[in-house]
Amino acid sequence: MKKFLIYSLKIVLITFVLLYASDLVYTAIYEHSIPRNKLQYLVKKEQQEYDIAFLGSSRVANHINTQLFDSLSGKKTINLGVEGAGLNDNLLQLKLLLSKNKVKSVYLQLDPNFENVNPSNLGTVESMPFIKNREINTHLQENFEDYWKLNYVPFYRYAINDPKIGFREAIFSAINKKPRIDPSIGYTPKYKSSGKLVGQHLPKTIKNNNPVLDSIEKICARNAVELVYYISPYCSKTKNLNYIEKLKSKIPSIIDLTEGYPDSLFYNCAHLNDTGAGLFTENLYLATKSL
Amino acid sequence: MLFNSLDFAIFLPIVFALYWLIPSKNLKVQNLLIVAASYTFYGWWDWRFLALILFSTLVDYIVGLNLKKEKPKSFRLTLLWTSIAVNIGLLVFFKYFNFFLDNFAEAFTFFGGEIQTRSLNIILPVGISFYTFQTLSYTIDIYKRKLEPTTDFIAFAAFVSFFPQLVAGPIERASNLLPQILAPRKFVQSQAVDGLHLIIWGLFKKVVIADSCAVYVEEIFSNYESMNSFTLLLGAFYFAFQIYGDFSGYSDIAIGTARLFGMNLMRNFNFPYFSRDIAEFWRRWHISLSTWFRDYVYIPLGGSRLSRWNGFRNILIVFLVSGFWHGANWTFIFWGALHALFYIPLFLMKRNRRNLDIVALDRVLPNWREFLAMFRTFFLVLIGWIFFRADTIAQAFNYLKGIVSLKFDGFMQYLTIERYAPELLVLITLFIIIEWFIRRSEHPFYGRLRLIKLIGILFLLITQGVYTDAKDFIYFQF
Repeated sequence: MKKFLIYSLKIVLITFVLLYASDLVYTAIYEHSIPRNKLQYLVKKEQQEYDIAFLGSSRVANHINTQLFDSLSGKKTINLGVEGAGLNDNLLQLKLLLSKNKVKSVYLQLDPNFENVNPSNLGTVESMPFIKNREINTHLQENFEDYWKLNYVPFYRYAINDPKIGFREAIFSAINKKPRIDPSIGYTPKYKSSGKLVGQHLPKTIKNNNPVLDSIEKICARNAVELVYYISPYCSKTKNLNYIEKLKSKIPSIIDLTEGYPDSLFYNCAHLNDTGAGLFTENLYLATKSL
Repeated sequence: MLFNSLDFAIFLPIVFALYWLIPSKNLKVQNLLIVAASYTFYGWWDWRFLALILFSTLVDYIVGLNLKKEKPKSFRLTLLWTSIAVNIGLLVFFKYFNFFLDNFAEAFTFFGGEIQTRSLNIILPVGISFYTFQTLSYTIDIYKRKLEPTTDFIAFAAFVSFFPQLVAGPIERASNLLPQILAPRKFVQSQAVDGLHLIIWGLFKKVVIADSCAVYVEEIFSNYESMNSFTLLLGAFYFAFQIYGDFSGYSDIAIGTARLFGMNLMRNFNFPYFSRDIAEFWRRWHISLSTWFRDYVYIPLGGSRLSRWNGFRNILIVFLVSGFWHGANWTFIFWGALHALFYIPLFLMKRNRRNLDIVALDRVLPNWREFLAMFRTFFLVLIGWIFFRADTIAQAFNYLKGIVSLKFDGFMQYLTIERYAPELLVLITLFIIIEWFIRRSEHPFYGRLRLIKLIGILFLLITQGVYTDAKDFIYFQF
């Protein structure tokens, strides 16, 4: 029995050593590789000055052509829209952005993301290799029930988020494989159409308030950053489009840019294609140039 | 409680420590601990269904004791049928009631009648198909006077509910497991180490192979109409490894866990994808179920003793019943029929017992004839898996139609959806190679390089395993 217990303990020990070593290797890879997504870009970039940072989900990543916006406005902008990101993820992005860089204005896309206060598995997960970063650590502590495991159990954060920061991504990072989208530009165009437009349902009701949005407002105020809200369009097949009116009544300052986009400009019902994004960027510029 | 969960990782060492720390290895107390641990293990999922196990245990314990007595044959037969009726009755009610009801209503409508039925909202108790068959083997063996009934109720309850194999087998025979439960146990170092190795190997099969494949299988089978031929073929291929990794992985963990407690369970899988014909496949796949059907259905029906026709009929019955055992859906019955179709020609040509040995036993590689035979068998099994996995028979045929339509646009269409795919093919290839080289044993951790192999598998388990959510074992639903 004694021999068996020693052997079992040896296996447990080997497992922990492997967990710890894998964690160290993955973390080192992410720390030393070129940024392959926008979260990593924010963690690694310092001393940058931007006139405008666009925050939101894929509806920002796909809709705002920063190069076009820059040429129209003569300003330096960055598109930080992340696929699947909600306001909570945007809050973390904002904290990271302001911790080491300067920004004059933040343009935040609001839509049904107003209903959600939780971090997404898509947005915030990309920050987990940098859990020792103070901003990230605090944010994870405030928002993740399994923070203890994320922070203290070696390799746990990589194991449970394998599709985003697991083996494949670590290998790509190790060989410094260029990402599909350059995070320093951030615009992710969609081309033509994904097929027949299938309308999605916007919420029937609207939340009274969103505490995450309140936090975003406070941080912006504290850092003297101008905060601009806007909403981008949906295709005509979308159900409960009157949600937009409800959102406007809740946040009167929101810039409504939902009109004037025929279905032919959509990649799918929530996302404009490249042509639509060009038009949208121009309209956003026109609507905000006097700000 | 899932084997691949943190709960089990805590539960097992505690039970193990208590089990071997019992003073003087007191058998009664050890068995009582097994029962308590098993009921906790099962109750972790849903404690309400513990009553079912207890009921089944009580009935078969009493039936067993009464079968021993010198009573008229008719009385013994009545007792046996009581046990069969209770166990099969429970199974039919929980597993097949809605299926029969729906099909009855459909048949009625087909013949012009009109009938209103209301399906019951029945939860299928996990493992019911396994433990009912296990207890049935006990009463049948006593009836046939192959086994002496036990008077020790706790030991019998431990036999029925033994937690490593309670929910998904191997379906143990009373003649194998019960004597082990009734005999004093001694801790054997080599047996326990072997058990530990089997647990690790089983976890690798489940968490790395099966769960990685599951992501794609789900995606491909759910969207099969828009998938090209190559992707559909890969979907079936991945499912073959999902179900094998899942179920044989479970069995390995079960057998390994039992060894930690000094018990030897029967082998359930013996490298089935290296089979050279379907008959060999069925000697290597879910062995505990196929031998159960052989011993308690096929042979009592006459086997192949009487005539070729009788043998043909009995094989067909066994495959259909075996298919139906897997679930209340026509797809499983069709899957069984398909395997009967593959098997019967071998039986009629008396070639069903040709490949009884291990393929390429004394060679590193198979010869081309063996390779082709294995490939052909795997291909037939693959066709069967499409019916097994599909929701309806029509869907399975459409899936097959998609494969033979030979549309190859887009290559691997689903690759952008989730995780990694070319890497998965590499992983499966590696798995096949490992399995090939260990086909004479149970797991890879033998020999001088044992520690290196162990570290390698643990490393793969850590970095390649799917931990996003603990996935149920497929056979829990059966």
